[in-house]
Order: sequence, then C-alpha cells, then structure tokens
Amino acid sequence: MEQKLRQEAKALLEQNKVDWIIGFEPGSLKFTATPLITRDKNDTERLIINPFIVNNLADFLTGIKGRVGIVAKGCDSRSIVSLIQDNKVAREDIVILAVPCLGLIDLAKIERLVDKDRDELDDITREEDKVIIKVDGQKKEFAINQTLFDHCIACELPTPQEYDILLGEPRPPAPELEVSGQNIEKLKETTPGERWEFWQNEFSRCIRCYACRNACPACFCQRCFVEETEPQWVMPVPRWQDNLIFQVVRNIHVAGRCTDCGECERVCPVNIPLRSLTREMYDIVDELFQFKSGMDKEAQPLMTHYEQEEAEDLFR
Amino acid sequence: MANKKVNKKDITGLLKEWGQQFAVFAPSRESGVAAMAEWDGKDTSFLDWYRNTVVPPKASFLPPMEEMFRFQKGKEGYNIAPPPKAERSQLLFDVRPCDARAMAILDMTFEQALEDPYYLSKRKSAILVGLGCTNPCESCFCTSMGVSPAESADVDLMLIDIGDDFLVEEVTAKGKELISKTSGLKEATKEDEAKAKQARKASYDKVTRKLDTGGIKDKLLASFDDEEFWEKVAAKCISCGICTLLCPTCYCFDINDELVKQEGTRFRSWDSCGFPNYTKMPMENPRQEKWRRVRQKVCHKYEFYPMTFNVIACTGCGRCIRLCPVNWDITQVIESVPARTEAKK
Repeated sequence: MEQKLRQEAKALLEQNKVDWIIGFEPGSLKFTATPLITRDKNDTERLIINPFIVNNLADFLTGIKGRVGIVAKGCDSRSIVSLIQDNKVAREDIVILAVPCLGLIDLAKIERLVDKDRDELDDITREEDKVIIKVDGQKKEFAINQTLFDHCIACELPTPQEYDILLGEPRPPAPELEVSGQNIEKLKETTPGERWEFWQNEFSRCIRCYACRNACPACFCQRCFVEETEPQWVMPVPRWQDNLIFQVVRNIHVAGRCTDCGECERVCPVNIPLRSLTREMYDIVDELFQFKSGMDKEAQPLMTHYEQEEAEDLFR
Repeated sequence: MANKKVNKKDITGLLKEWGQQFAVFAPSRESGVAAMAEWDGKDTSFLDWYRNTVVPPKASFLPPMEEMFRFQKGKEGYNIAPPPKAERSQLLFDVRPCDARAMAILDMTFEQALEDPYYLSKRKSAILVGLGCTNPCESCFCTSMGVSPAESADVDLMLIDIGDDFLVEEVTAKGKELISKTSGLKEATKEDEAKAKQARKASYDKVTRKLDTGGIKDKLLASFDDEEFWEKVAAKCISCGICTLLCPTCYCFDINDELVKQEGTRFRSWDSCGFPNYTKMPMENPRQEKWRRVRQKVCHKYEFYPMTFNVIACTGCGRCIRLCPVNWDITQVIESVPARTEAKK
C-alpha cells in the first residue's frame, strides 16, 4: 500500500496534477507519524501508512493554496466531503488518495494495558485481529478493540467513499458501538447534578490552548467566537465556566460537520474527554435529522440549509 | 559539607514535617493531568513516575490564570483591592532539573528585566526540592541544553535516587537552613556519594536525543528573512498553544478585565505567540501568517533570549515534542536552520 501511495503521489506532482501532497511520514518519536506537506516529488519517498497515522489531514486543506493530493483514511475523507459541502474546498482541486483504514492505535490505552510508558515499549505490531506489544523481552497480545481509539471502534467508514485513487482492498465497516460508547453511556447514567460536577472538574484543567479547535477540520471559522471582543461571549481566561461555554458552543457550531474523527480528544494535552460531547452531538444529529456528516458530497450542509417542510417540526 | 540521606519509606514523614511550615506541592494526577498539586498527605506514587509532569511547575509561580486585583466603581473613581496573599510559602517537591533551570530562566525576565510582584511574591518565598530523573524520556534533550537529568544548581535541595535512599544535597543556604531544622535525616556515607555519582552519570547517559546548538543565534539571525525556510518549517503547525503554554520557559500572558455592573476583576492568563490574535492590533497584524509566528517562537528561545540574557530559553524538557498534536519537533527545526555567512535576500 505504501509503495503504491509513493508512486501515485510522485506521479501526481510530476504530471502537475497537484501542487501539494499531504500525507504522513515517520515521526520523531517511537510509534508516531507526522504530517508531511510538500511540493517536492522526492519527499514522496518518505510517505507511510501505518496504525499511527492519527492526524485528520483534512484540517490542512483550508489553509493551503492550490491543488492538493491528500492521503485520506475514512474519517479524513468524511471531513473532506463535509468541507466540500460547506464550499470551503472545491472537489476538483483535490485528489483523494484513499487508505482503507484498519483503525488507529491509541497509545494511552496501550500504556494503561501494559502499565508502562510508551517510551518503555520495544515494539507494537498490528495483525488482522490482534495487537502485539513487545515489552521487557515479552510479547503481550491484545484484542484489536482494546487498543484502538474509541472513535475507530465506532468507525462507520474505514474506506473513503469519495476518492480518486484507492490504495488497497476496501474494508467493510464494523462499528462496535457498545465498546466505543462505554464512557458516554456511563456518563449518561449519572444524574444531571453529577454530570455537572463531572464537567466542572474536567474543564477546570483546560488551559485554553485551542488544540481541540485547531485540530478540528470542521472548525474552519476565520474568527472564532471566543476571540470576539464586541460582544465578548466568553472570557479568554481559562476559568472552568468559560472553558465549558467555549466547548459547548464549539460543539454546537460543528454539529452536522463533526465526523467523529476524535481529533479534539486525542490532541487535548490535559486529557479532557471531549469526544463524550462531540459523539453525543453526532448521535443527536443523526437521531433528529437522519444526517451523518461527510457521507454524501451532494447532500446539503445540515445547519445552513433549510427545507420548507422542516418548518412544522423545527420552528414552533 | 556532608550531604544527608533519607530513606524512601520516610518521604511521607519528611513531607508531613515540611507541611507544618510550608504548603507542600508535589506531582499528582488527581486532577486528570500530571501537574504539581497540593500534597494530600499520603500519596508518594509520583516517586515511581517514569515521566515528568505535563503541566510544568512554572504554573506555581505563573499560574494559567490569576487575579491581579478587583476594582469597584466608587464616588470618586475606582477602589482597587489587591488579591489576598497566600498564607503559606510553597515547597515544591520533585522538581526536575530541566524545570528548575527553566524557572531560573524565567527569573531573568520576572526579576532582572523588570520586577513582577505577582511572580516574585510566590517565587521568592518558595523552596524548590529537586529530584533527579532516573528514566529520561525519548523526547528529552536536556543534556544538549546544559542540564543534567540528575544534577541541579537551580533548586534549594536536590534528591538523587541511590537505591533504598535518596541522597539529599544542600544546594542553597535556604536549603541548608531547612535541612538543619529537619529531623530524621541520616548522614550520607562516602559509599552513598559514590552511588549518587554513578546515578548522575547513568541518567546523563540515558538521554539519547541530542541537539547541536552551536552558532544557532547567528544562524537564526541570518535566516530571519528566509520565508521559504520558515514556511516549510511551519507547514504542519496547527497554531495551537500547547508547545508554548506548557513550555517551562514561556512566560507570555494576556490581561483581561471582567466588569459586571460596578465591580470588576483584572485577570492575567497564559498567552501564546502561536495564536494569530497575539499580535493583532487595530490596523494590522505583523504576524498574520503562520510562519512568522513559528519563527517568533523559535527565535525568541534560541536567538532573542540569548541576545538579552546570554542563555537559550530552552532546557530540553521535551514537552513541546511529546505533546505536539502533529509531532512538530524543535530539535529537527533547530538542526535544519541553514548555516549562512550572509542574510538571504
């Protein structure tokens, strides 16, 4: 798959079909990959595909000028489609190099499973139905679903539907929502009072680094409401109340655009379980509007489109 | 001066004793993230931690958010009330040498360049107790930045793991005074000193990430206008604030007033040069483009700070590498700065 990707990416640049390639290259730490954004055809030799290509690369599309060949897992492709729906990028400017995704390995889960820091692990290998971790000279096996990100366990589209070049055998979706939604279900079983206290605690440690927003392809506003000063919707200080308002409003703003790619939660340096909010919103959007973002580029964007017959239900 | 030692089992007792005089802070994950927190009187699990805290201990002196004063509109202008002073001085336990050096670097700005009462009131009364790293991380590069993972001159007391005990070094007069009033410590033997020496070297050798900073100030100066270079370096940056806010030497802050009817509060809170709004002014923004902001961050640490204080404002703690959502790696960037004799036109 990697070889094919490198050839195709190189050809796209050589034949001047794109100005940029966005993909992944090996990261500087163990078990990491890092985004590669390049115009140089020689760089395509470094492109990789592995279970650590965690970033949603669609995030870079709105900041780049020119035609782009982009490596896309299923979730990335949904974000790209959502950006097309919102007219943020033009389909003809993008060549989608589709990766049938096996799911991404969550290093935090691995650390908990083996009770070791990632630095102490010798190797992590992915096989079809298990993950093998080499640590202290021993091999430890775990079922796939113990090691993947929750949003990967819930994945409804491992292989992009919308693509130009397919890089491998398509994989059928096999979401296991009971496993992926455990944290959210537990939270839903609590009383509103307990939940309020829970979120107060979580948001107390937010430092307002805005990584959640900046890593989110759906957060494409030129000017975020938190930065407005007239009126000032929230204080820019990391007080839990303001942090909570920021996140709640962000969540509402990305409703119908969020593809449950899980980036907001993954990038949070202080471990706030943001997906518990975004996934719940994702499910509410589905329940109320039978809408899953990023599935159909011809579909009208949910929140900016209005059908006459909706009036009865929604505007009362 | 003979050093002391303390048995690992006696750390709880030691902290309890110090707790009578100080507000003791130690690494904790209780809040959901590894950070300094007021010690709960029992948990010493942090002694076995593999890695340093995510939130650097600078937060004890320059908190993410603090009240500067409250104000109230009176008949003749505003009445200003300073915030209540903390009752007890802080004792920070288990400060790593990289972070201790970082606080010495912060002192240059908050004490030498100007006197910042908010920072200094907390910093000057505090005691720093260092603890040597036994397992530096893959992202650590302290040894390239003049820091040794198990040695420090920037703390008041320094603890080094020598097996069943910690060797306790009295680094400053303040540290010495505290030790003279502390019970339960034993005299360290020559053997203990030898073990400590070995432990220092072992830790030092475990730091594998290396960075050559030779001539970096001049290289950056010559590359300042190399837009192509900086654009390439900045390409994958998503302009979040992780690497700056959680950097132990970054000190930028923003000031905001909150006014409700006739009363208000002035806050200061962490800010980041990575944010586009950081330099936003009514008419223009000199760092609208991402590459200019990334350049600012790199140059501030490796060029401007050395120009002003003759020291690089980076201690190799590796947080920025490890926590970065896109694995933007400062060591790779610094090594890729081109060597030039003249500025590129």
